[in-house]
Amino acid sequence: MSETILSLEGVRLVLEGNAGPLEILKGITLDIRRGESLGLVGPSGSGKSSLLMLMGGLERATSGRVTALGHDLTALDEDALARFRRGNMGIVFQSFHLIPTMTALENVAIPLELAGVADAFARAAVELEAMGLRARMDHYPAQLSGGEQQRVALARAAAPRPAILLADEPTGNLDAATGAAIMDLLFALRDRHGATLILVTHAPELAARCDRVVRLADGRIAGEERAGRVRVAE
Amino acid sequence: MRAPVALRIARRELRGGTRGFVVFLLCLMLGVAAIAAVGTVRASIEAAIRDQGAVLLGGDAEMAFTYRFATAAERAFMAARAANLSEVVEFRSMAVAGEGTAADRALTQVKAVDAAYPLAGAMVFDPPMTPAEAFAATGGVPGAAMDPVLADRLRLAVGDRFRLGGKSFRLAARILREPDAAGGFMMGPRTMVRTADLDGSGLLEPGSLFDTRYRLVLPAGAAVGPLGREAAAAFRSTGMQWRDARDGAPGMRRFVDRMGSFLVLVGLAGLAVGGVGIGAAVRSYLDGKVATMAALKAMGATSGTIFAAYLAQVAALAVSGVAAGLVLGAGAPILAGPLIAGALPIPVAIGVSARPLAEAATYGLLTAALFALWPLARTREVTAAALFRDLGPGRRVWPGWRLSVALAGIGSALVVVAVEFSGVPELALGTLGGTVAALLVLALAALALRRVARRAGRRVRGRPALRLALSAIGSPRGEASAVILALGLGLSVLAAVGQIDSNLRAAIGRDLPEVAPTYFFVDIQPGQIEGFLARVRGDGAVSRVDTAPMLRGVVTRINGRDARAVAGDHWVLRGDRGLTYSPVPPERTRIVAGEWWPEDYAGPPQMSFARAEAEEMGLKLHDRVTVNLLGRDIEAEITSLREVDFGTGGIGFVMAMDPAALQGAPHSWIATVYAEPRAEAAILRDLADAYPNITAIRVKDAIDRVSEALAAIARATAVAAGVTLLTGAVVLVGAAAAGERARVQEAAVLKTLGATRATVLASFALRSALMGAAAGLVAVASGAAAGWAVMRFVMEGSFRFEPVSALAIVTGGSLATLLAGLVFALRPLAARPAQVLRARG
Repeated sequence: MSETILSLEGVRLVLEGNAGPLEILKGITLDIRRGESLGLVGPSGSGKSSLLMLMGGLERATSGRVTALGHDLTALDEDALARFRRGNMGIVFQSFHLIPTMTALENVAIPLELAGVADAFARAAVELEAMGLRARMDHYPAQLSGGEQQRVALARAAAPRPAILLADEPTGNLDAATGAAIMDLLFALRDRHGATLILVTHAPELAARCDRVVRLADGRIAGEERAGRVRVAE
Repeated sequence: MRAPVALRIARRELRGGTRGFVVFLLCLMLGVAAIAAVGTVRASIEAAIRDQGAVLLGGDAEMAFTYRFATAAERAFMAARAANLSEVVEFRSMAVAGEGTAADRALTQVKAVDAAYPLAGAMVFDPPMTPAEAFAATGGVPGAAMDPVLADRLRLAVGDRFRLGGKSFRLAARILREPDAAGGFMMGPRTMVRTADLDGSGLLEPGSLFDTRYRLVLPAGAAVGPLGREAAAAFRSTGMQWRDARDGAPGMRRFVDRMGSFLVLVGLAGLAVGGVGIGAAVRSYLDGKVATMAALKAMGATSGTIFAAYLAQVAALAVSGVAAGLVLGAGAPILAGPLIAGALPIPVAIGVSARPLAEAATYGLLTAALFALWPLARTREVTAAALFRDLGPGRRVWPGWRLSVALAGIGSALVVVAVEFSGVPELALGTLGGTVAALLVLALAALALRRVARRAGRRVRGRPALRLALSAIGSPRGEASAVILALGLGLSVLAAVGQIDSNLRAAIGRDLPEVAPTYFFVDIQPGQIEGFLARVRGDGAVSRVDTAPMLRGVVTRINGRDARAVAGDHWVLRGDRGLTYSPVPPERTRIVAGEWWPEDYAGPPQMSFARAEAEEMGLKLHDRVTVNLLGRDIEAEITSLREVDFGTGGIGFVMAMDPAALQGAPHSWIATVYAEPRAEAAILRDLADAYPNITAIRVKDAIDRVSEALAAIARATAVAAGVTLLTGAVVLVGAAAAGERARVQEAAVLKTLGATRATVLASFALRSALMGAAAGLVAVASGAAAGWAVMRFVMEGSFRFEPVSALAIVTGGSLATLLAGLVFALRPLAARPAQVLRARG
């Protein structure tokens, strides 16, 4: 068995809503191994995206502990979390979340620049080429189609070679064909860099491509199934 | 039935509140309020001048003469037509209190009146008394009244004695109000006496500089217009000047008119700043409505319906903003009424009048339409697909031909209205043209900055905060254009006002030579000039003395035609002008055309004219100029043109004539004395003792009086510009607030990608500072251009770029933008990425 790269122990998440506190996650305990691909599925409101955000350090657990690559994320402040994400985590969103004032190339280069990589733009260009976006490098997000924007987002997430790739319904805003292409790229990236992939999805066929699928319901783990052999980083 | 549906949609949309329109409403309200306030004060003053015409003039009509009393024929003319008649004499003199070395002297503007004065209005004295009581003799010494400022300066209490020329007077009262004192600029504070009591003072000798004014009260039913024409026809060649109660204080009216127009136009420039904010607010509001519009389209609404629905919302808000502005603009002057009235030389009741409010409302609505229509056009471009794809608000949409025509129509209407309302077409066109030019320059500057930022952004590697800032500025969807336009225009107005203010304040100091005369002496009688020169030339502390004989006359005709018909309203033709004579060119004279007459010339009168003024009036060599001197016309041929620098503070005459032409006329001498400060008091004492009729004007005091007047103009301008600053601040805060949503998103994504808060903050601060600096630099250039134009064409003065004021503007602009940027960076920095990204997801 390979090492645990990400672990959650009794994680609870309570958010303040208009109608009072709302318990989103009710004690999640979960270990994810290096190189594994994990699908998070469940009905809307079950807490999938919140769990993913906790794993990425974008959300802070109300109680419990989140450990990634040996770091206790719950003990880090916001800037320390930001520094930790550099090079360790790549995140892909359903709504792409590209920075509208930057070109595709600049969007991909920015995490590398933040990490102090000297040849950030050269590497960003390589990533975009790998995504088939060579001709679109100088375009702004508004000038790109949804599929193209998501490929830029994928390139941006992959550029720093993160150990962990988090994807929150990355095909949710795309048509079926484009969505399938994006998933192929995502899994190819995972294969190429040996990253751990954690994927939130509604689509059973996408979940089926993962090594393991965790089913959430009402903020709890409702079930877990293994879809295939655990892959090990090459 | 499209319109009703659109209106219903508009009503439902507005039900959600006007939160997104605070900037819109504030911009419009402030701009309209500033214009309405200036207009309200101006209308109130003008109404007061109009209503109190007879009081301000001192009668229904006035016939005025220079350096002489009315002739018997003139008196007979007036007596035959007036129900009441009063004679007033005005001149400058020295009031002297005390004796010998302990004497105090001060320049005063003497007004000598008869028993009939005042024909209109009433004098108010302290202690209260009638004019007859004030001027009554006590123990053989006639009474007099003084401006409290003068009495205090001379340390005179009621009952004390002082001298005017060779005559003693007793201070009977202090003057609290003089009904007909709105005559304009006075070199010294007022002293009032009876004319008859000046006999033996030596002050009203032939050649002395005095004016006489005869006020007429007409019988009931008599019209002033025909009488004025009759008088002009009868006394055309006597230099008589006619005024009547229809325009009782023309100088003040002209000043209020001009100042009012100028301030309204400063307000209009402020409204343009607000216009940029209005445009940005509409754009930002519509950005947030893309989904609503797309949904409406998906449900079958046409582009026209959607455009109409949002147009109706903007129109309703514009009407509200204008209404609020009118209430504020009319209310503030009324509330501040006592304060404003106290600062004015005539009693003015500040009240609401329709015309200035209509003017302000028209400007407000036209400006709102001009700046809101273009962004509104974007509503037509939203498609239903926006529901499914983020089409991205903020795309630039060029107006179609219909909208272009509408915008051109509104722009033209604004020009016509500004020209019509201001009554000063050059000023109105200049202001509007300057504003449009500034906007164009700013738009180009924004474009250039974006290009430079984009290029530089690609070169800056390894400094993420700077590159982020440059990317944000360089992006076509960034806020750079909006911020630079709004801030730049606001700063341009401020920079212009700053340049004008500094120039006005510096004008006097700058335009005077380093060595200005200490004293100007006037009314030196021909028999006194030798003794006068003996005293000053024999003083070791006096470095230079210039003297010249002086007469004053009115230019009535040029080449036999009415002078005003030839040269318009040139200042040389306004009132009387000094002229001199000399057998040889005076020292430091530079003749640039023609020749000076021979020393012993005795032929037909010849004249040397100042070159610059001749050019302005269209005069050339051999033209004939008729000057009326004490009722006598003298026609002279221009035989030379010479350079006269009126900025030296020394003696300068527009017109000089050959001695034979003028020597017979009664005249006095003027002199300038350049002395060291230690000798000033002794010179004044000796000369005043020896020649009590001579008036000494201390040049420094005169400069101070002029400086005070200019500083008052600068203050009024600064107040008007303050409203522009406030509007600019609102626009800036509005732009920063509008960009906050985007920055929250950007900060969340950047943090997700590993940026620390310090990096994000540095990037936000850098972009704000860069945009502020760019806007400030353009503003300094366009402000300097506007300042130059105003100084050159409106104030008719010289212009010098004032770097301190400019530096303050650039620094202030950068800091204000930085501050606004930082304040609105707090929320993006504090927001946790998950909250932001989840909400968007």
